[in-house]
Amino acid sequence: MKNLRFGLVAGLALLLYSACSKEPEPGPPLVYDPVPYEIDIPSWFPPMTIPPGNPTTVQGVALGRRLYYDPILHPAGATSCAGCHFQERSFSSGPAILPHVNLGWNRNFLWNGRVQGTLEDIMYFEVTEFFKTDISRLQNHPEYPRLFYEAFGIRQISHELAAKALAQWMRTLISANSPRDQSIWGVPRIFLPDEAIDGAIIFNTERGDCFHCHGGIFFTDNQFHNIGLDAEPAEPGYEAVSGNPADRGKFKTPTLRNIALTAPYMHDGRFKTLEEVIDFYSEGVKKSPNIDPLMKWAHLGGLHLSAKEKSDLLAFLHTLTDSSFIRDPRFKSPF
Amino acid sequence: MKHVVIASAFMAAIFSFLSCGKNKETENTVTLRLEHAVAGAPLTLNKIQYQAQSGHRFSVERLKYYISNVVLYRADGSTYESDAVHYREEGIAATAELALGDVPDGEYTRLRFIVGLDETTNKPNGLPPTPENINMEWPIPGEEGYHYMKFEGKYDSMGAGVIKSFNLHTGAAKNQPYYVAVDLTLSGLSVDNDNWNITLQMDLNEWLQNPHTYDFEQFGPGIMTKPAAQQILMENGASLFTVHAAVRE
Repeated sequence: MKNLRFGLVAGLALLLYSACSKEPEPGPPLVYDPVPYEIDIPSWFPPMTIPPGNPTTVQGVALGRRLYYDPILHPAGATSCAGCHFQERSFSSGPAILPHVNLGWNRNFLWNGRVQGTLEDIMYFEVTEFFKTDISRLQNHPEYPRLFYEAFGIRQISHELAAKALAQWMRTLISANSPRDQSIWGVPRIFLPDEAIDGAIIFNTERGDCFHCHGGIFFTDNQFHNIGLDAEPAEPGYEAVSGNPADRGKFKTPTLRNIALTAPYMHDGRFKTLEEVIDFYSEGVKKSPNIDPLMKWAHLGGLHLSAKEKSDLLAFLHTLTDSSFIRDPRFKSPF
Repeated sequence: MKHVVIASAFMAAIFSFLSCGKNKETENTVTLRLEHAVAGAPLTLNKIQYQAQSGHRFSVERLKYYISNVVLYRADGSTYESDAVHYREEGIAATAELALGDVPDGEYTRLRFIVGLDETTNKPNGLPPTPENINMEWPIPGEEGYHYMKFEGKYDSMGAGVIKSFNLHTGAAKNQPYYVAVDLTLSGLSVDNDNWNITLQMDLNEWLQNPHTYDFEQFGPGIMTKPAAQQILMENGASLFTVHAAVRE
C-alpha cells in the first residue's frame, strides 16, 4: 500500500511537471474554451447524426470554413475546396463536381462511393489523398496553430484535425428553402406555378418515376444505380469499390436540390442542360445488362414523355433552387 | 495490493452474478431471423436464373420490406405483442434479425405478423426519418405513406427475347391496405428463462403463385397504381414464409 501511495504521488508530480513544461511558449496564452454550435436544421429535415468524437463548435466551424476557402490545403497553394465548389452554384461546378449540400446526412461519397462513412471520413480522404495537404504549412502559419488550439485544444495540427474542422463546417451547409419547400412548409406557404405542380405529379408517380432514386426530403436515395447511359459502361463506377461486376456503371444518385445550378450533368458531365437530361430519360436510355430495374421502360428506350410533360418536369426541377442558400453570408469566404 | 485484487475479483463476481440473475428472470428474447430463398434454394442476386409459374425466367436485384405487428400466441390464446416495425433488406446482414425482448415464459404455438405496415403507421412521418425509411416513402399524391415492399428484378419476356424489368412495389395503392397477413404454426417453442431463435424463410416464388399466377407481362414494370396486382400479391403472400427452425440458444 505504501508503494502504491508513493507511485501516485510520483505520477501526480510528473503530470504537473509535464503540464508546466509546455507553458513557456512565446505569444499570448492559448485559450481552449469551445462554444457549442447549434446547426440550423429546419423542422422538416430529420435530425443529423454527429459523431461523438467531433462535436460541432463555433470555433470548429469557423476553422473549417477558413480551411475550405484557403489554398493552404494544397501543397503548392494552387487551389482550395472553394476553387471548384462555388457557393453560387450550390458549391459545385462543372464538369461533374458534386455539390456540397446537405452532406451531413450523407453516407456514400464521391460518384463511385469510394469513401463511405461520415463527413470526417471523406474530409480525411480529401486532405490526405486528394490534396495531400502538407501539415507543416499549417503548423508554421502565423494563425492556424492558435485556431486549431481554440477549436480542439491540441497544439499539434494533423490531417485528422483538419478533416474534423472541415466536417463541422460542411454540416452547416444546409439547403432547405427552395420554392418547393416554401410551398409545403413555408409560413405563409407559397403557391407553385401550375406546370410545376403537374411536374411534381410526374416526378412522384410511376409516370416519370423520378422519386424512387431522387425522392425523399434530400431528393437522393444516396445509393448507386446504372441508369442506362451506355450499353457498355466505359467506367466501372461502384464496381471499382464493391468488386462486383453487377455494379458496373452504377454511380451515386446526385441530389436534385439546386439541380438547375449544377450543370453539366451525370458523372462525366455529358449533358449540358436539364432539357438534355430529360430527353435522355424520355428517349435516350440504353439497354445495359445491369441497368437498374427502376429504369422501367428501358426496353422501349425510355419514358416517352410528351412535350408538355417534359416542360412540366423542367418547371418542377426549377422549384428546387434555393436562392437564399447561394447568397447566405454564413457560407461566403471569410477572407 | 493483494487485498485490492481480491476485493476487485469479489465485486466482479457479485456483479456478474446479479446481472446473470436478472437476465434469467425477466429478459427472455425470441429472435426472428428472416432469410430469403427461391424454390427452396438460398437467394442469389442479379442473375436471370429463376423460373416463375407464369413461365418467365427472372432475376432478383433488390428486396426490401417491413414486417410489423408481430404477435406470439400461447395455446390458451394469450399473447405477446411487439410494437416493433422491422426493416429488412437483402444483402444487409444487420437487418436480418428482429429480437423480441421480454417475452414471458410460456409455450407458444402460433406466430402472426404482417408484411408491410398497418394504417396507424402507414402515413406521412409514420416512421422515424432514418435513411432506410425515407427511401421507402410512397409519395403518390393522396396516398402518402411507405412502400411495404420493394421486390425488383428483370425477366425474359419470352418469344421476343427482350429483357424487361419488374418492380413489385406493394403498398396502400388507392389507399387500400394491401399488407400481407402471415400466420404460422410453431412447435416446441417453450420459453422458460431462456432465449430462442426462430428462422423464417421467405420463398420469393410464393409472391408469384399460390393461389394466383402472377404474370410480370400482364401488369407491366410498375404496379403502384394497380390494385389488381396488389390484390394478387396480398393473397399470394399468405404462403410466403415457412418456419425453418426454432431452437433454444
